[in-house]
Amino acid sequence: MTPKPLDPAEQALIARINDGLMIETVADMTPGYKKALLTQLTVQGDTELMSAPAYYLAARDAPTINSRIAVTAIVHDELGHANIAYRIMEDLGADKRQLVYGRQPHEFKHPYGFDQPLENWAEMVVANGFFDRAGITLLSDVHQNTSYGPLKRALVKVDREEVLHLRHGESWMKRLAKAGGEARDALQRTVDWMFPMTLEWFGLPDDLKRHSGQLAYRLKGLTNDQLRQTWMAATVPLCEGIGVEVPAHFDEATDAYVIDFPFPCQYDPNAKRWLFDEPLTWDQVFDRWKARGPMNERYVEMIQGTFGSVVAN
Amino acid sequence: MSSGRVYEVFARKNHDEELKHVGSVNATDDDLAKAYAWTLYDEERWVEMCVVPRSAIVSITNEGPLPVWGN
Repeated sequence: MTPKPLDPAEQALIARINDGLMIETVADMTPGYKKALLTQLTVQGDTELMSAPAYYLAARDAPTINSRIAVTAIVHDELGHANIAYRIMEDLGADKRQLVYGRQPHEFKHPYGFDQPLENWAEMVVANGFFDRAGITLLSDVHQNTSYGPLKRALVKVDREEVLHLRHGESWMKRLAKAGGEARDALQRTVDWMFPMTLEWFGLPDDLKRHSGQLAYRLKGLTNDQLRQTWMAATVPLCEGIGVEVPAHFDEATDAYVIDFPFPCQYDPNAKRWLFDEPLTWDQVFDRWKARGPMNERYVEMIQGTFGSVVAN
Repeated sequence: MSSGRVYEVFARKNHDEELKHVGSVNATDDDLAKAYAWTLYDEERWVEMCVVPRSAIVSITNEGPLPVWGN
């Protein structure tokens, strides 16, 4: 409920933004705008940051030296992207050290997908193919539509590098599919848990979504359901093209992708299995997210090291 | 513990292109600012790169607070 509908200052800013105003400094912002922007940047920075330890551990499963170097380069990029988001937040009054080292593991705002262990090479490359595709879907929308000038400019570099990660993931998914046998089975098993995981990433469907400050202030352009459709429009044909099954299909009648399981539903993180016979409400999904996943503490510990407690105490 | 000061980062891709603003870093001194900028903004093989303390920038178009140029 970020924009207070009755606050004339917020309304005036929203009207000017709708007329094409770009925001450049804190002085241009209303409290509602600043709060919505900080929330968006926290999620963005935390997501980039928490992808790093997940990918770092999975780099050990790389089948060749070159592919291990590629993943290490991706880790480097992701840390850079996190720094860019936090750097902007600092100009809005946040403290980067507090953000990175002063928070408890459950206080980070990254998606549940980056609380999960990546335990083999198939999981590493599908994470690149699916999670980084989700990242680029969200961030390219922000890049095209945001009313905040510094973020629009910063995302040029970020988007470019995310596309490389995505290509890395997709080309390896194709190779594993072609290899057949065990590699192909591992690929299918990974897609089985990561596909629903990424659909959930885009959050509440539009018919349940409360009024969105991020859309009103033009911090993004597309709704959650539109973004979810954009992601499926890229991902479903990719998987179909390599003979990997996904629980979604294109429906010609409605000209949209349709999810073929009760969405959302329960997930068993230890078995890495979706329980399609246990549908959930979104409030129950938020509870699962808030409880965080199996790798949350380990990943945050890897980022903070012994330095974490120094700043926190 | 301070993150140091903000340095704006500028770089040139080719000799016939303008020097452009590519981002910003925090650093406690010039040497660290150089290292952070070089490793963070590695998306191109720059032919020229430099950092400028934000505090050294004199704004002409903005009377008030300096805009944040990049990131």
